[in-house]
Amino acid sequence: MSDLDTFTLLPLQIDPQTKAVSTSSPSRTLQTELTHLNALHRALLTLETPNQVPPPPIPVNPKRSANIGKLRDSGNAEHRKGRYADAVKFYGLGLQMALTRAPWEPQQLVREESAALYANRAQAHMALGSWAEGAVDAEASVEAKRVGNPKAWWRRGKCLVEMGRLGEAREWVARGLEMEGGDADLLALLRDVDARIEKEKEREESEKKGKSG
Amino acid sequence: MFDIDWMSLALPFAYISVLGGSLFTFSTIYRKRKATQSANLEPWFPPHLQRNIYLSLLHLEPEAGQEKAPKVPDSVIRAALLRRAVEDIRRIIQIRTSKAALNTLLQRGSVGDDLNQRFLRAEKEIEEELRDVVSEANALAPGWGQVIFQSANEIAANTALRSRLEEIEAKTESEKQWWEKRRETIQKDFMKELDEDATKDSTKGASDDDGVLVDATTPASTPGKKKKGGKK
Repeated sequence: MSDLDTFTLLPLQIDPQTKAVSTSSPSRTLQTELTHLNALHRALLTLETPNQVPPPPIPVNPKRSANIGKLRDSGNAEHRKGRYADAVKFYGLGLQMALTRAPWEPQQLVREESAALYANRAQAHMALGSWAEGAVDAEASVEAKRVGNPKAWWRRGKCLVEMGRLGEAREWVARGLEMEGGDADLLALLRDVDARIEKEKEREESEKKGKSG
Repeated sequence: MFDIDWMSLALPFAYISVLGGSLFTFSTIYRKRKATQSANLEPWFPPHLQRNIYLSLLHLEPEAGQEKAPKVPDSVIRAALLRRAVEDIRRIIQIRTSKAALNTLLQRGSVGDDLNQRFLRAEKEIEEELRDVVSEANALAPGWGQVIFQSANEIAANTALRSRLEEIEAKTESEKQWWEKRRETIQKDFMKELDEDATKDSTKGASDDDGVLVDATTPASTPGKKKKGGKK
């Protein structure tokens, strides 16, 4: 029973120089928790607020947002010039920046930024013909922002179609349609997938006939 | 005149006292058992590790051979308190989401009263815990109590999002390998079919087959044939 007035004393030590907390206990959960704690401590030390306490989530420090925006713009510029590999690189850098935001900053912002960057990187991957990477990136984009992100839904669907995973593509696009409420591009893609599935079936049947006959 | 015959009344009195005594013992034993049972109910949540770390840091024992306990800097204490708040947020979310479901189950009689007892206790405990964290935060930095849970909420949500994204990104390598293999087999099949067509020199069904296969291999040969415009 966990009582509110008692606690379990854990065998903890603190390094006088680095201020890192460590333990002599072999428990793995305690060890991982302490690494999280030390990481958070280091992050808190970089803060400039009084008392080094994390500020409330809003308002956001605009510096990082501006940097991420810049990286996305240079990625877009490279994409327009047709240098897709460079575009992928820029989007990747932007993503790194968006995902290494301090954890106490608003997650909604992280979601928006990473969704846009993942979707754009998926597009650049598609332009390079690397459908596998494109599919994964588009899925990540959808994970970050489920509603109002029809492009990412469409891109993963398209990648799956290109890899010949028609059943999976159909399921994905149908789910996307549910979320996006009948987006025109998604509907077109769904029709395309259905047509391909139909064709595949016909081909298999004709092959069977050819074998038996 | 009223000469009471105590001797003959001894039996009824003995009967009454035995009855009363046995009822009393039964009720005390029963109540005691029930109390220990509810005290021994399994807690809803596992031990609060972050809380234990925070309190252990406050009560750090001196190391062997030293008299004074090492001084823990305030920044470490603050970090530990923030971790504790994050864990509290996770617990609150769990409590809130399971409350409605538990109530329905309870009304239908699908779960026992024990579970409800455990749940109510966990709810009360988490309320106390929140109050405790707020007062600790205010003691560490004036005014922090008002915002610590906002920060903790974002930290909890951000960690969840990041672990999901990492999970998805981790699939990239295996997906890539799968597609490489798949593409090779498609290409091989295509070449074989071309050879067969050439030897058979037949027209039956060939055009249809080719149509599908060319579609599947075009991505490799013509990158960037289709682009969807408009970037954010």
